[in-house]
Amino acid sequence: MAALPRRIIKETQRLMQEPVPGISAVPDDSNARYFHVIVTGPEDSPFEGGLFKLELFLPEDYPMSAPKVRFITKIYHPNIDRLGRICLDILKDKWSPALQIRTVLLSIQALLSAPNPDDPLANDVAELWKVNESEAIRNAKEWTRRYAMDN
Amino acid sequence: MKMSLNERLQEELEALEAILMDDISITHNDTGYPELVKTTIFPSTANEVEKQYVCVTLEVRLPEGYPDCEPFIQLRNPRGLDDSTINNLYKSTKAKCTEFLGQPVIFELIELIRENLTESNLPTCQCAVCLYGFLEGDSFTKTPCFHYFHSYCLAKHLTTTQRLFQEEQDKLPAWQRSTDGFQATCPVCREPIGCDVEELKTALPPKELESAQTFEVTSDIRLLQESMKRLFTYQKRKGGIIDIEAEENKLLLITESSEDTPPSDNSEDPGPSPSSMSERVVENGILSRGQRYDFRFNSGNR
Repeated sequence: MAALPRRIIKETQRLMQEPVPGISAVPDDSNARYFHVIVTGPEDSPFEGGLFKLELFLPEDYPMSAPKVRFITKIYHPNIDRLGRICLDILKDKWSPALQIRTVLLSIQALLSAPNPDDPLANDVAELWKVNESEAIRNAKEWTRRYAMDN
Repeated sequence: MKMSLNERLQEELEALEAILMDDISITHNDTGYPELVKTTIFPSTANEVEKQYVCVTLEVRLPEGYPDCEPFIQLRNPRGLDDSTINNLYKSTKAKCTEFLGQPVIFELIELIRENLTESNLPTCQCAVCLYGFLEGDSFTKTPCFHYFHSYCLAKHLTTTQRLFQEEQDKLPAWQRSTDGFQATCPVCREPIGCDVEELKTALPPKELESAQTFEVTSDIRLLQESMKRLFTYQKRKGGIIDIEAEENKLLLITESSEDTPPSDNSEDPGPSPSSMSERVVENGILSRGQRYDFRFNSGNR
């Protein structure tokens, strides 16, 4: 394996030793820059009870540029599209090297608690979220139940 | 003659204001009771501000009945101090409050904290960029907002953000470009900072990096990998996993109504490396290697 930057090693160790409640992230065997992630749906959100799988990749110049993150489990959310791509400023122009894997995943978990249909990525979902919020929340709960549960 | 509670407090606050002047702020509640006293404390460095590497804001909340009952202490916005230093400060201020029950204690607290800061007037925190500490001989920079970075790490941040700023500017038509030029910001709090990048660039990498451990797959990692895999397999069976190929083909059909590629059944785990992702790209022949990888990850952020 090519030399892994010390910062990535340190973050990995801390993720294992002091895990963030409701979030687990583990590097892949063959590529220590690729993380398998599970984020639990926050309490009092339509995603409560769900276990969402994500993939996270640290690019060559991390932490100077943001990790690339995507949902793997289907999710009904106005800021996450059908391919699982996430609309979140800190993953783009608001990235800072003082952010870490754990803070990024916490922000994503917070996005589940606070959907923002005014800044949509999934247009049909955002539209329904604006015109009929209760139906949108019902859909989100249904998707969580159907796709994001554990056995 | 015994003074009333309020007179004793009044006297203490007047003395504090006389000593600290503008460096202390007292907040009164609706009934005019002084409920909160706040001051930011620096180490004693004979007024050489550039040698103050740490600071903390002390908040003393005064319950009715103070000084005959203990005030509530909060230490806010610590700079250059790690968690254990802060915890020790909490312990010793608490002890001081107990010791001084019935007597004015605020100035005692300020002095206690100042002594502690003077003793540990070297950043005990980590560099937020590389996550390693500051060792003797490391070249480090203190921002005006009291955040610490190895000069080497800060230089990397500044050159990267400057390059990104320039790239964004170059994309814009001339009339939309910023006239102010590049403004460096602190990685931690985004406050504007002024730094000489050229000088920072000459700094050597932090020392602790050299002695850091290498990466090893531990049994913890194995266990977690296993449970992730189980969840993936279960959700896959339930149809809960996003099928990138199928979704992309849907998009293509809508936008171009081009060739109808059947969704491939990728039942393997979705990892691990970008190289295996791009292999699938070539298979599918929808996008080129690089494009496809970007397409999967770089979501539009508008």
